[in-house]
Amino acid sequence: MTSPPLQLLLQQLINGLTLGAIYALIALGYTMIYGVIQLINFAHGEVFMVGAYAALTLLLAIADLAASAALPWWVALAGCGFGAMLACGGLGLAIERLAYRPIRHAPRLNALITAIGMSFVLQNAVMLFYGATDRHVPSLIPLVRWNLAGVTVTFMQLIIWIASGLLMIGLHVLVMSTKLGMAMRATAQDLKACALLGVPVDRIIATTFMMGSALAAMGGTLFGLHYGTINFHDGYLMGLKAFTAAVLGGIGNIPGAMLGGLVLGLLEGLGAGYLSAQWKNAFAFVILVLLLLCKPTGLLGERVGDRA
Amino acid sequence: MPRHPHRKILGCVLLSCLLLAGCGKREPVVKIGFAAPLTGDQAPTGQDMLHGAQLAVERANARGPALPGHRLELVALDDQRSPTQAVAAAKKLVADRDVIAVVGHLNSSCTMPASAIYHQARMLNITPVSSNPQISRQGFDTFYRTCATDDLQGPAAALFAVKELPMVRNQSYPMRIFILDDMTTYGRGLANEFEKKARSLGADILGHEGITQGDKDFVPLLTKIKSLTPDLVYFAGMFPEGALLIKQRAEVGLGGFFMGGDGLFDGTLITLATPQAAEGVYLTTIGSDIHAIPSAQEFVNAYEERFGPIGAYSAYAYEATSLAIWAIHQAGQKSRAAVLAAMKGLKDYPGLFGAQNFDEKGDSLIRDIGLFTVKDGTFVFVKTATWD
Repeated sequence: MTSPPLQLLLQQLINGLTLGAIYALIALGYTMIYGVIQLINFAHGEVFMVGAYAALTLLLAIADLAASAALPWWVALAGCGFGAMLACGGLGLAIERLAYRPIRHAPRLNALITAIGMSFVLQNAVMLFYGATDRHVPSLIPLVRWNLAGVTVTFMQLIIWIASGLLMIGLHVLVMSTKLGMAMRATAQDLKACALLGVPVDRIIATTFMMGSALAAMGGTLFGLHYGTINFHDGYLMGLKAFTAAVLGGIGNIPGAMLGGLVLGLLEGLGAGYLSAQWKNAFAFVILVLLLLCKPTGLLGERVGDRA
Repeated sequence: MPRHPHRKILGCVLLSCLLLAGCGKREPVVKIGFAAPLTGDQAPTGQDMLHGAQLAVERANARGPALPGHRLELVALDDQRSPTQAVAAAKKLVADRDVIAVVGHLNSSCTMPASAIYHQARMLNITPVSSNPQISRQGFDTFYRTCATDDLQGPAAALFAVKELPMVRNQSYPMRIFILDDMTTYGRGLANEFEKKARSLGADILGHEGITQGDKDFVPLLTKIKSLTPDLVYFAGMFPEGALLIKQRAEVGLGGFFMGGDGLFDGTLITLATPQAAEGVYLTTIGSDIHAIPSAQEFVNAYEERFGPIGAYSAYAYEATSLAIWAIHQAGQKSRAAVLAAMKGLKDYPGLFGAQNFDEKGDSLIRDIGLFTVKDGTFVFVKTATWD
């Protein structure tokens, strides 16, 4: 049953794509927020982690209900996902209002330090509230595997692709063809001019934070369900990877973040699969450095015109 | 630089605090230091150890003062399984003049650098479970260890894997094995010992790779291993990563056996990996089945009544702490040097695992390797394993 090289390659691409889809969901938040206020929101990884915990809390609350009322798994999944997105959307709004808006006109470094501080606050708050040990996320999605010509796809992987794909398409439509999206793109282009023209920039920025945080929450939900364990410091590494993905695609560029996430996931998958698992992070970051040396604006570049 | 007025006020407040604290001087204390990961992913294991140590101190205090005129206290510090934090904790313990013996740490990568600090301070250091053999080969006379070492555990695991595992499923020789470790002092050391012995027994080693502690996604690695179709995957590391490997192994559909070392011996492993995926996993432990040792039953019952199911290392932490208390009692004075000298005179200490003695390196002469398997969501003792 040794798989031929082609099947193995396909399998590794599928593995990389799964991780990449989660990276992409988180990377979108980094890039959207950078787009509107040029801030690297270092607390974003922690928002992702809070999303995973919010989903777990809902899942545990539903678990009793599901046992008695035979709740279908997909309703539970949708409920947890949307619940986590709502919770983190609110958290994103609160962070922007409390931590970033008061210092928006201060030098940019202040906001950066505030973001790092916010990240510590969230991490420690979750640690105090949920405890410092790994939490087990009960498996919600049935373990089904399909074997297509020697390549295996699990149901969980399919759900990750579908959920993240739908969200990314939805975001693209929202940014490109709604009034809100137009306002976001305009704010990204020139915040002051927008304010002069009567665009409610404060509300647009707050909405951007909310949307970015909600996407990260969905990433956290899928992450928790996929790996089955979450920890209060999971946001650090995942946040760092997603930030890398955003830079890889061109920070501030929405399609760039999606592409960057997928490319980083693929690089890690191929690195672990063909080189060595212990070098997979190094491999991904070496590629990033090489790429940025050749193309400092990332894969798709900082397309100032439609960054949002 | 002009002085800040509120700095003066702060100084006054601090000074009066000190004075007040001095007024409330209680009876003199003698402390035993304890260090293990108490937060983070390995916290369940660290907490189990802490409970064992606490029980030892409580029981000693109930019997009467170990050192006349002094109250015995346990100072527990968190090393977060990080060598850097372990060194910081060790320095803190050494700086406290009331601490005259230390029980710790859990991870070999933490015990290794910390043991040098205790040695410099001439302080007795008993590690309950750090099993890397190199630690006691540093030549520190302050170092003792109450468990078996990985130069026994690795070969014992290899012997079982190569000679006995094939019979479980009527497979043919040689066993084709893929080895993983977590690149720590413990994991890499154990994996190398396993590999050496497995090779000498004629096993076919398909590869040996490291993973990073804290990583979550091992699917690409396991996919690669699956394409090599090994009979056995051996993992030397701790249970948080072990659980993910076992879970993702089932998702990837990687067949064959899965075996690990004592780092996997924590009930959390089965919860995190899910009982279905963990079924049939084998692991070795650095000591025999605690429930099968008659001299330990009284302790096991007392522990379980107080804290719930006993952890893999609770008994070792209890034994190490009891030994430290014994040495303090023998020394009869609050002095690190006297405690160390008393420990050197130890002979046939009536411990949990029988008469406890140590060799010239400080390693316990009670060296049992246990073999367990996961059955219906719990660890089941298979047998006491041999290493040659």
